[in-house]
Amino acid sequence: MKTLLPRSAKSTSKPLTYGVLAIATVTLLGGCAQQQAYSVPGGCCKAPIEEAPKSYVVLIPSPDGTVGEIVVKGASGEQVLNKAGQAGTIEGQALQVDDKRIKGDFGDTIAALPKIPVHYLLYFSSGTTLSSASNALLPEIIAEAKTRPAVDISVIGHTDTLSSDAYNDKLALKRATRVSELLEAKGLKANSLIIESHGEKNLLVKTPDNTREPKNRRVEVSVR
Amino acid sequence: MLRIFVIVYLVLAGHAMANELPIGHVKNVSGEASITTGEKKIKAEVGSPVHQGSRLETGKKSSMGVTFNDETVMSFGADTVFTVDEYLYSPNQGKLKFGSKLAKGSLNYVSGVIEKLKPDAVTVGTPSGVIGVRGTQFLLKVEK
Repeated sequence: MKTLLPRSAKSTSKPLTYGVLAIATVTLLGGCAQQQAYSVPGGCCKAPIEEAPKSYVVLIPSPDGTVGEIVVKGASGEQVLNKAGQAGTIEGQALQVDDKRIKGDFGDTIAALPKIPVHYLLYFSSGTTLSSASNALLPEIIAEAKTRPAVDISVIGHTDTLSSDAYNDKLALKRATRVSELLEAKGLKANSLIIESHGEKNLLVKTPDNTREPKNRRVEVSVR
Repeated sequence: MLRIFVIVYLVLAGHAMANELPIGHVKNVSGEASITTGEKKIKAEVGSPVHQGSRLETGKKSSMGVTFNDETVMSFGADTVFTVDEYLYSPNQGKLKFGSKLAKGSLNYVSGVIEKLKPDAVTVGTPSGVIGVRGTQFLLKVEK
């Protein structure tokens, strides 16, 4: 098989060998009908490519601008994608796909992406009484909810580690319930609303047990 | 006799799934789309619930957007079949898992809270293998 590779492919670095083999195979089987649809980095593969694989994956930046990582495992191996625009076959091979093709294949899919959820943190001056700054956030939450089709809301209560687990489970639920009542009283309408208590199990600021920490006494409102 | 037991179990399991709380909801639909949970198939509309075990499908020239409880956001292009095999989102109990599969079609995936809290808890299966997801956005196309 290797002797059939185009000469230019031999200079390609090793990790790309699978991709080159695949391209070479497609080229040999399919002839030279089209302009190349994708290429392997490094300037090889001047020979026209019949077509790119029908199945593939592309990593793109998150809505917040960060780039995470995906690991593609398939019959041909495993490939880590961790750079914006990096692509691979679903078999686990490296691949480069041009933007035009990505737009053609995914334009309608990308256009259907729902609005990215937002969440708010509300703090308490004491017990279940919201701080005045947090109280002032409620109209903003309702306004955000109105911009979304069939908006779903989660209201999740948290406490600090003062007192027992059981007490804090109840207090966090009281806080979340209070916030959902306030939101509904101010006109919130939702497709679904979930009230949850995470008690003292999901601390924003890690502290030892029995520690007063105002930043942990909070309710999260997820607007989706 | 054993066979009868198995069938009864599957029917009950189907009902149980449909009665569980939704794990996400449809946010937009263009063209034809459906959600099948257990034995029950519904036409997908804005606000329709998605459950653990649901199979989401879109028709020709169709698309659908879904937002999950943990803020994972997905959209599907035409001729797609996507299943949610496992969805666990109980951070206070440490139960976090999101296992799904794209059998065919196209997917735009944006990470939610599950993988922030537990890296390696999120996988998207394909006919050729599996994709492990760690806090990001990606596009996936599966065509036979």
